[in-house]
Amino acid sequence: MSTALNITLIVLLVVTALLATFSKDLLAAVIIFSVYSLIMALMWQRLQAPDLALTEAAVGAGITAVLFIVTIFKTWRREEE
Amino acid sequence: MKRALSLVFILGLAVLLLYVVGNMPSMGDPQNPTASHVSPHYLERGVEETGSENAVTSVIINYRGYDTMGEVTVIFCALAGVLAVLGREKKGRIYAYTDHSKVRSSPIVRTFLIFLVPFIIMFSVYTILHGELAPGGGFQGGAVIGASMIIFTTIFGLWEASKSIPQKLRIPLEGTAVMAFFVVGVAGLIGGGSFLTFLMPRVTESLQPALVTWLTVIVEIGIGVGGAMIFTSILFSMIREEEEIVVQ
Repeated sequence: MSTALNITLIVLLVVTALLATFSKDLLAAVIIFSVYSLIMALMWQRLQAPDLALTEAAVGAGITAVLFIVTIFKTWRREEE
Repeated sequence: MKRALSLVFILGLAVLLLYVVGNMPSMGDPQNPTASHVSPHYLERGVEETGSENAVTSVIINYRGYDTMGEVTVIFCALAGVLAVLGREKKGRIYAYTDHSKVRSSPIVRTFLIFLVPFIIMFSVYTILHGELAPGGGFQGGAVIGASMIIFTTIFGLWEASKSIPQKLRIPLEGTAVMAFFVVGVAGLIGGGSFLTFLMPRVTESLQPALVTWLTVIVEIGIGVGGAMIFTSILFSMIREEEEIVVQ
């Protein structure tokens, strides 16, 4: 059970990382990146590092995402080819 | 040509890194160099030397205090950089709630948020003050306060948010994280130890545990308050321009 969960988390982590990298819509990339951070927080919890899980959930999924979104609305949303 | 070269470079790097990973000591092995020298000392002597039950806190605040002090200074420098480029939201101008989105946030969201934010702040205060005993600590709690202010600002706008945490309050509190570390460090010097020592030779034996606990709590509160104010200020400085109108 725990191995299956670990493998699922790692696969999701890689998928979200690739999606965030290759997405042309920057807003979508930021949202996928915050999902990546949440999965990472789950991983930290499973690796018995609750301190890091708290930090990752608050900073990675919360603060950085909002700061990125503010930056996108100040610049351009689409990446140019 | 360029693509092929970069592909070869990346493949070579990947092979090298995988080779190094294969030679690393396996995770969780009790024979590891990291597990056989430093960790036993932290785990066995941690409680009596640093006064905190949580081994992670004792390492972050006490044994590797320099490291944490540097990190806190880095966040402070990030705020200084943002303020130097974007500037602080100005006094004497009126902040108006200008909603650029087509759909105004619904009354359900607003009402729910008014109930939610106090609980988030209560949780973060618990995280800061309980950091000695449970997972968490100053930085985590400060980040949660910052995140709660960010939610509040995104729904209610800069005007309401900067009324609840005015600039006058934020400016002196932004430096508390760095200040708390330096004050505690200098206290270690005065107490007869080296910089950032918590066990002070000049203090009598019976007072040592209380002293160590209080110094840890001071540092935690400092990091928490400072971190929260820094995150809030960075956000306010980034979103200020849309919501400022000059009084003619």
